[in-house]
Amino acid sequence: MQHELIDVLIVEDEHALAQLHAELIGKHPRLRLVGIASSLADAKIMLDSMQPQLVLLDNYLPDGKGITLISDTQIIRANCSVIFITAASDMDTCSQAIRNGAFDYILKPVSWKRLSQSLERFVQFADQQRVWKIVDQQNVDSLYQLQAKNYRQDNGSKGIEENTLALVQKLFADAAERCFSVDEVVSETGLSKTTTRRYLEHCVEAGFLVVEMQYGKIGHPRRMYRRVAA
Amino acid sequence: MKVSFQIKLFISLVLFFSGLFVLLGVYYYKDVGRQLYQEMSARAKIQAEEIAIIPNLRQSVANKDIRAIAQFMHKVVAHSDASFIVIGDDKGLHLFHSVHSDVVGKTLIGGDNAEVLQGKSTTTIRKGGLGISLRSKAPIFDDTGHVVGIVSVGYLTSYLDTITLGKVINIFIAAVLLLVALFVFSWFFTRSIKKQIFSLEPREIGLLVRQQKAMMESIYEGVIAIDSELRIEVINQAARKLLGLSQPTRALRGQTIAEVIAPVPFFARKVMLENDTHDEICRFNQLTVIASRVRIMLENKLQGWVITFRDRNEIDSLSAQLSQVKRYVDNLRIMRHEQLNRMATLSGLLHMERYDDAIRYIQAQSEHAQELLDFISSHFSSPTLCGLLLGKAARAREKGVELAFDPSCRMDRPSRALGEAELISIIGNLLDNAIEATQRAELPHEPVEVLILQHEHELIIEVADRGVGITPEIREHIFERGITTKRRGDHGIGLYLIANYVAHVGGSIEVSANEPRGTIFSLFIPETGNVLRPVPTLEDQNYAT
Repeated sequence: MQHELIDVLIVEDEHALAQLHAELIGKHPRLRLVGIASSLADAKIMLDSMQPQLVLLDNYLPDGKGITLISDTQIIRANCSVIFITAASDMDTCSQAIRNGAFDYILKPVSWKRLSQSLERFVQFADQQRVWKIVDQQNVDSLYQLQAKNYRQDNGSKGIEENTLALVQKLFADAAERCFSVDEVVSETGLSKTTTRRYLEHCVEAGFLVVEMQYGKIGHPRRMYRRVAA
Repeated sequence: MKVSFQIKLFISLVLFFSGLFVLLGVYYYKDVGRQLYQEMSARAKIQAEEIAIIPNLRQSVANKDIRAIAQFMHKVVAHSDASFIVIGDDKGLHLFHSVHSDVVGKTLIGGDNAEVLQGKSTTTIRKGGLGISLRSKAPIFDDTGHVVGIVSVGYLTSYLDTITLGKVINIFIAAVLLLVALFVFSWFFTRSIKKQIFSLEPREIGLLVRQQKAMMESIYEGVIAIDSELRIEVINQAARKLLGLSQPTRALRGQTIAEVIAPVPFFARKVMLENDTHDEICRFNQLTVIASRVRIMLENKLQGWVITFRDRNEIDSLSAQLSQVKRYVDNLRIMRHEQLNRMATLSGLLHMERYDDAIRYIQAQSEHAQELLDFISSHFSSPTLCGLLLGKAARAREKGVELAFDPSCRMDRPSRALGEAELISIIGNLLDNAIEATQRAELPHEPVEVLILQHEHELIIEVADRGVGITPEIREHIFERGITTKRRGDHGIGLYLIANYVAHVGGSIEVSANEPRGTIFSLFIPETGNVLRPVPTLEDQNYAT
């Protein structure tokens, strides 16, 4: 059950590269290579006959673009996921791939580490999917949202440093009732405006500060920050 | 085998005239024969009648004095060109025969004497003793009026034919001379024709005419040919269409150019005589065209001009396309150059067996883009937004501007207040403005900082550039319609739209100057909006760390 193999199809016209992908898949205990297609036409035929669960799809093929396969009915019907591979100069196509719900997007030259991680994640995803299906059919929908989620390199990263945060918070603690504008905080702390905004909003979210709108005579209302009354 | 037009023309000329001559000759021959017979029968008749009234002879015949008759008749015969002269008596017996004197006393041959003996003159063609002859017989009367004898004057047909033949031979010689003249004439005539039509076959000429017409009509450019008097000779469909002429080509032919196109220096006679032009921009009837003019010279004589022209707008769009293609080619060249550099670096590293460096070097090529891709796709759940940000980042990179996404960026669910289209429009406009402002600032170009952060109660969008900033005089009006600092593009509608969307959902916008220069746009859009909904815990679990 847990050790069911996942069928993978490689669509790549560069023979050497396809072989490397194949090797990588061959090394993985849970993946099974079912074929290598070197053109769109071949890919369509193989999709039909092999019914793979995952396709490593290169964008530049001799008879067209790989991106056209993503929205192909065969892929959608076969419930097959796509790891889309394209050149770094081709970001537009990537955004299209994202919109079409590719499982992952990898830029050439391919980083093997990155590709391995991607494959690993797919295996987990597939397992999870199976578990979900068994446990509760209803939750499949919410799981599908995971498909479009890429792994997070550093989930906790919010760009907030303790020292800086302390500096900002100290300012408000010292003048409890006072409303500060961003500019005032900037002149007090010496931080840049954008950084200041990050910390202030972080404090708002954390419940340390509140926002008050100040309606002046001219222009737009200004956003002021004040310490939450303890 | 194909016979050339010249030969064909020559042969047909000769055949036609030869036929004509033959017909004429035959007719003439017949006619001459007929005339001769008439003439001869008249001669024979007159001679016979004249002989018949000679008194001496009448006497001699009445007396049947054969000797006297012969004596007298020999004198007459000597003066006549007749083939024979015969005298017979009233019984139809010979009294005299100019050729065969031995027939005297025998019956006249021919059996046409009855009428004559009754007193009539006759002219007949009969076979007589000498062969076929034309003869005239006249009766000889005595003083009392009784027929006493017959005079027959005859001409043999063989003799007549000899005369005719002589005439025909003369005619034939004349005809041959004529034919020779005809040959010579035909030869020179066809040769001169051939010269004039450049040795072309008539079929080829027809084809050429049709080809020319087809060619003229298939040309995309307007073509007008005018003669040396500035009259239109040829004008094609395209020219009529471009100039907006409704009359048919036939009607235009022969009109002067000034009647069709309002006079411009381009068509001034003096200018046209002096030089040809190529791709000159001028106006034909309110239409700006690019026109060329070429003089047509034949045998060092000016025959006229050919003017070709086309709509300038087309040329403009073409040149725009061309420059785009050129840019693209340049980009490709640069990219190829970069690629070669990379290959060179790589081969150097491999040669020096610095494999780790080589791998790192290769990874670095896609690393940045991959990181951006991974960052965007992991921090924003909306594929449309991901697409927009990736597209803008790539476009900005092409323009030499970096988009720096704040690490705290996060947007895990659709905005509760704003529709996706509005959100895209807002972010897209802000980024465009920031990129453009950065581009217009002097180098080095600082990155544009982007923060899109969805808190529980608010969605914060902040775009900060270190570009040229907003001039003080329009600072208060930037959200009004039609205010723009851009040299091209949306004509000041972007910020106006943004302000509208944000105001509509009860959000706020702050605009401030960045340090040391540039602008910061901060948007705060309420998430709890007017619709306060409890956040499902499941969703929180899903997106929790």
